[in-house]
Amino acid sequence: MSEKLFPITVTVNGEEYHREVEARLLLSDFLRHDLGLLGTHVGCEHGICGACTIIFDGEPIRSCLIFAVQANGHDIRTVESLGTPENLHPLQQSFHEKHALQCGFCTPGFLMTLVPYLEEHPNPSREEIREAIDGNICRCTGYEKIVEAVQDAAEKLSQKK
Amino acid sequence: MTTGKYFGKSVLRLEDKNMLTGNVKYMDDIEIPGQLHAAFLRSDYAHARILKIDVSEALKRPGVVAIYTAEDFGDFWKPGPLLVPPPTAIDGSQFNARTLVPIAKDKIRYSGEVLAVVIAESRYIAEDAFDDIIIDVDPLPAVVDLEKAWEDTSVLVHDDLPSNMAALVKQEVGSYEEAKKKADVVVSRRMLIEHVAGAAMENRGFIASWDDQNQVMTIWANTQSPLTIRGSVARALNLAESQVHVITPFIGGGFGPKVMTSLSDDVLLPWISLKLKRPIKWMEDRRENFLATTSERDQVHHCEIVLKKDGTILGFKDVFYHNTGAYDSYGMTVPLNTQTHTISNYRVPNFYSEIRMVFTNQMVVTPVRGAGRSEGVFAMERMLDFAAKELGISPVEIRLKNLLKAEELPLNTGVIGQDFVVNILDSGDYLGNYQKCLAEIDYDKFRKEIQPKARAEGKRMGIGMVAFTEGTAVGPYEGCKITVSTSGKVTMATGYSTQGQAHYTVFAQIIADQLNVKIEDVRVVTGDTNLFAWGAGTFASRGAALVGAAAYLAAQKVRAKIFSTASKKLEVPEEEIELCEGSVCVKGQPETSIPLGMLASLANPMRGVVEPGVEPGLEATAYYGPPHGSTGSGAMGVIVSIDEETNKPTIERMVMVDDCGTVINPLVVEGQLQGGISMGIGNTLYERLVYDENGQLLTASFMDYLMPLATDMPEKLEIIHNHAESSLKVNPLGIKGVGEAGAIPPGPAIVQAIEDAFGVAGFEILETNLSPSQIYEYLKKAAK
Amino acid sequence: MKVEGDHLFKAPREVVFEMFNDPDALGAAVPGMQKMVKIDESHYEAVLGIRVGPVSANFSGTLALTDVVPPESVTLIVEGKGGAGFVKGVGYVKFEDLGDQTTLLKYTGEANIGGTLASVGQRMIDSVAKSMFKTVFEKLDKILEERWQKS
Ligand code: FES
Ligand code: FES
Repeated sequence: MSEKLFPITVTVNGEEYHREVEARLLLSDFLRHDLGLLGTHVGCEHGICGACTIIFDGEPIRSCLIFAVQANGHDIRTVESLGTPENLHPLQQSFHEKHALQCGFCTPGFLMTLVPYLEEHPNPSREEIREAIDGNICRCTGYEKIVEAVQDAAEKLSQKK
Repeated sequence: MTTGKYFGKSVLRLEDKNMLTGNVKYMDDIEIPGQLHAAFLRSDYAHARILKIDVSEALKRPGVVAIYTAEDFGDFWKPGPLLVPPPTAIDGSQFNARTLVPIAKDKIRYSGEVLAVVIAESRYIAEDAFDDIIIDVDPLPAVVDLEKAWEDTSVLVHDDLPSNMAALVKQEVGSYEEAKKKADVVVSRRMLIEHVAGAAMENRGFIASWDDQNQVMTIWANTQSPLTIRGSVARALNLAESQVHVITPFIGGGFGPKVMTSLSDDVLLPWISLKLKRPIKWMEDRRENFLATTSERDQVHHCEIVLKKDGTILGFKDVFYHNTGAYDSYGMTVPLNTQTHTISNYRVPNFYSEIRMVFTNQMVVTPVRGAGRSEGVFAMERMLDFAAKELGISPVEIRLKNLLKAEELPLNTGVIGQDFVVNILDSGDYLGNYQKCLAEIDYDKFRKEIQPKARAEGKRMGIGMVAFTEGTAVGPYEGCKITVSTSGKVTMATGYSTQGQAHYTVFAQIIADQLNVKIEDVRVVTGDTNLFAWGAGTFASRGAALVGAAAYLAAQKVRAKIFSTASKKLEVPEEEIELCEGSVCVKGQPETSIPLGMLASLANPMRGVVEPGVEPGLEATAYYGPPHGSTGSGAMGVIVSIDEETNKPTIERMVMVDDCGTVINPLVVEGQLQGGISMGIGNTLYERLVYDENGQLLTASFMDYLMPLATDMPEKLEIIHNHAESSLKVNPLGIKGVGEAGAIPPGPAIVQAIEDAFGVAGFEILETNLSPSQIYEYLKKAAK
Repeated sequence: MKVEGDHLFKAPREVVFEMFNDPDALGAAVPGMQKMVKIDESHYEAVLGIRVGPVSANFSGTLALTDVVPPESVTLIVEGKGGAGFVKGVGYVKFEDLGDQTTLLKYTGEANIGGTLASVGQRMIDSVAKSMFKTVFEKLDKILEERWQKS
């Protein structure tokens, strides 16, 4: 209302958006409520759970920890940029086959943490995978099947190359 | 039916693909055109008298639409219902019902209790308005410590009661005092079971939308109890149930707390929506979730076990304090579960258990995964460890001696449980589970080779071996309706709601087999009260057993209708018909067939005459209510190593043997157990809700409330399904629940292993939630 | 939360004590103090901005001086509240004359903290309080230096 609005331009999943936002609007709220990209979830709003993880200029970051205005001029990818239900990304396919999700609330955050990770670490060990996902909380699965899924995806992705 | 084309197989989940692509809607994804946002102003004080709340300044803020305090609700304000009946089935029980109020009036009883509701154009504005609300209170000392609260009447949570006693329930089987007279050994201890949160990754949320033209209240809530909400909203607003439509979206985890109703949101927001004729949305934030969404555990046990020299248990006594928080709307489900589970594994001929449930200035306590079972099992398992030490025998030996054998079941334990019927251990091989676990973890090898070798190298390694039961699948009942549509697709609707338990798949597995259709053609709808309006709710690991059984029964009814309709149409007797995939055909002549969809059209004639007594459609509803619950059972073995410098335990290996009866989907069962285990590990080593002496919660974020992470899981985790075939099947499919099993045994198994790793005389762990610094404290105590 | 500590002032006891009864000096010394006014002999009203980890908010409240025994001791009672919770505390301050134109201030106290400040910020409160005391004493040292030299 009385808050001042700032114009921003962000590229999200390859599409350019121009919007006017309040300075205090969180990037997570912007993606979800202004752009309607609901796949990014908010579990804690304080940077610990990892559910809101997105890819920001190629790096995974927590969208609840930065403001929309800080995304001005940057490139963002959200879970919507991966596969579709008919054509899953190999990592999504592995999550499905290994039963690596239950309620699914944490899942987009795990996926967006792991997609860039697997690009850099095509052949991670079980231990390395556990380290890689140690910043994401999942209350449902106990992580075991997520680790299995990542191993499986690493294999799938390396065969693809 | 234990296997079919789908039943019993690791079918991949039907719901996954949409969830994986962000293509499903959770609570906060729901937006109603014209919606306003609600924010709850919560009390900073744990215990205080309200002198004045002045909202006049806040109302002037642009974008603020309305603000309500308790006074503004007039007669609508009243304490909520008792959600679980009092324990009148237990002789001599005393219970003081002081149910949750939707918004504090006159007195604040816990920090986080709602004082005002702000309705505004955005959530940001609503919270901004908090700054302008003036609150004047007269702070009172807070009731926090359970044992002190029981004795001390100088500060009362509820002024109209003579003490802080919420309930006193005593149960006795045999005579404990007589047993004690005959005993060779008496061992007693005081133990703490710490307070933990459900902490589902998705917070709670609620939308109420009153449609004035149609006179219908539509509610979206990520609740485990949609039908309870429908009933209570209808009652409170004087509407017919048919005018209230509750929809549960996809839900990001439940674990118990989302079963709670009669909270500020589900009571006040429908009233406000009706008043303002606007949709009202509220999403909880994480701090609110910690402060005011229910949590559990928090008991203090005074246990005594009496035994013969050879380790035979003669009797067990447990007087325990149970924190119910500021109100006790959820009755005694949790402590009654504790009572039944304390002696549910072993031959205990004489048992005395006393619940002292206390009011405190803390958030309300309701079940969290494990729900009282973990506490009872912890108390018994720990006492066996102490008794074994006293007797100079191994913790394994004392268990092997006392565990119930398959042939001793079914067994009536004589203890009345949360469902108010006497606990019956229906089936299982408790001793067999334990032996299997010993063999699988290779206990002897650990004792003879691994541990001595580690010790010789100066490393600390220990093993823990415990047994547990999981009371599941209690009544009263659940139900569902199955409809074959003219497209040939099958829909199953149930009032049960889903928080990630794979219901969309496992119920479809049952139905697809019964109707011989492709599993993708079965659509399961959960928690939409317009599609199915009967049932109790998602709790006590009862979905697969109760809804699963109802699905099986309803599918059989539909099957019968399919046969009778097809027999008429094809003009052949029913015995000569069979189900081919998606159609009905004549045995031996597969070319004579009718697709199920066409049969569904025929079952709904548009002209002509229908014989009396015939129901239209290929549709049936069925309900299932068990005579008593079904008890799952198992054992757990854990090997830990301890870091030299920090005392931090690492779980090197964990083996869990579990018997949850017939398995619908092994992959899903494994997932449930692994998830439960992570919670059990968290509860034992990391998670803890800390209140200070003023009733302030000091751990209201994930920065202070430590959740178990991937690297906290065992280095190696094995799960073995050990189903003891039994003629006694409580439900038609022989299914027992499995949702909570994983969370139960890690506590006692891990602490036993930690004690064993140190192997220090006098080093005894008397609580759950064990940080390295607490281990250090216990070591210091032992050294004295 | 319990607090305890001491500080050595390089000035005679009377001067130090006097400074403690001067709202201008105190107001200037406390970081984040936005306003401090004297209501009567022993009561002050103050508005204070505090930042503790993720929580930052304004607190308004009162400071009362009781049991004033010039120039030996004083008891401070603080009560404040704001958007992020409340603070209620009592501090016992003693001034010891060390004889060589220096004064040793010793304090002990206890504070009750509630609301967001406690539930989200408690981990940091101790260290924030410590650093606040440090800044206060550093500023008071400066003020004292100026006054002491002027006089
Ligand atoms: S919501 Fe961003 S890390 Fe939890
Ligand atoms: S699947 Fe539910 S939180 Fe991870």
